[in-house]
Amino acid sequence: MARRKLTAEAAKNESLLPSGERARERGVEERHLVAYASKEPSAFAEMLGGLIEANVRAHPDKRKDFDALIARVGIWVTDIDEGVTLVFDAGRLTVYNGLEPRRTITIRAEAETVMSLSNLKIGILGLPVYYDEVGRGVASKLVLGRLKIDGLLPNIATLNRVTRIFSVH
Amino acid sequence: MAIKAFSAEWADQLKDEVNKSSVYKAAAKGWKWTVGLVVEAEPDKHFPEARGLVMDLFDGEARDIKVGAAADAQKCDFVITAPYSRWKQVAKLELDATKGMLQGKLKLKGDLPTIVRYTKASQELTMCTTRFQTEWPDES
Repeated sequence: MARRKLTAEAAKNESLLPSGERARERGVEERHLVAYASKEPSAFAEMLGGLIEANVRAHPDKRKDFDALIARVGIWVTDIDEGVTLVFDAGRLTVYNGLEPRRTITIRAEAETVMSLSNLKIGILGLPVYYDEVGRGVASKLVLGRLKIDGLLPNIATLNRVTRIFSVH
Repeated sequence: MAIKAFSAEWADQLKDEVNKSSVYKAAAKGWKWTVGLVVEAEPDKHFPEARGLVMDLFDGEARDIKVGAAADAQKCDFVITAPYSRWKQVAKLELDATKGMLQGKLKLKGDLPTIVRYTKASQELTMCTTRFQTEWPDES
């Protein structure tokens, strides 16, 4: 898996580079869609980064979402006390260990629920399916407060896009 | 009677349990890859040499589960590696395998989207190891 580790400073400089889409248009070889802010990314950071990269590379529709998405998404796994911040920047993703400031959305849930989020199927109009077994499980956790999403209401479209990128289906 | 952990008999017993599980059969429908479990040595826990479990799993069925060298397990499509005591924690349900992977306590090699799609099957595979008695070398 192609992987690059960046320092926070280097990650800032990266934003000066062309986006994935523009790079493709110019015929620049794309090797790195995902970068890691820490020299020692956590296992969780590597897993999420790896999962998203594999999804985006394998599915052109997810790639379209990835190229369009600009957001800072925090994911905190409550039962392992670990989290990451995913900084999507129109065709590139930088994964930070822990929660970084200025997040658009923050998802807090147990490990099993986080895995369920990536198992959500995507239905018509590109919306996550909440009526099958996995979807019902996720929805009930949201209702019961075992899945918390800060910033949900003003960012539903962003959340749907993140879910599409994150989903393995 | 308890069966020695990670022995040939243990692997046979695990295969039987997997094939008895209707939950696994349903959850692993469509799975067609080999899985290798590498059990790293911990001499102080009376587990002096690394071993590999090679699992030939296909479409909800365990076609074969064999114990051999760690190198054999490393050749599988998916490889999960951890020291002996971690695997013991997983088999005793003291450590959830999903959490263990997110924490880096179990190291996974293989296509991530595929393994995520079969999370339920891998959880049931873990449950199968709890359905028979195991003799742990550091407890005997």
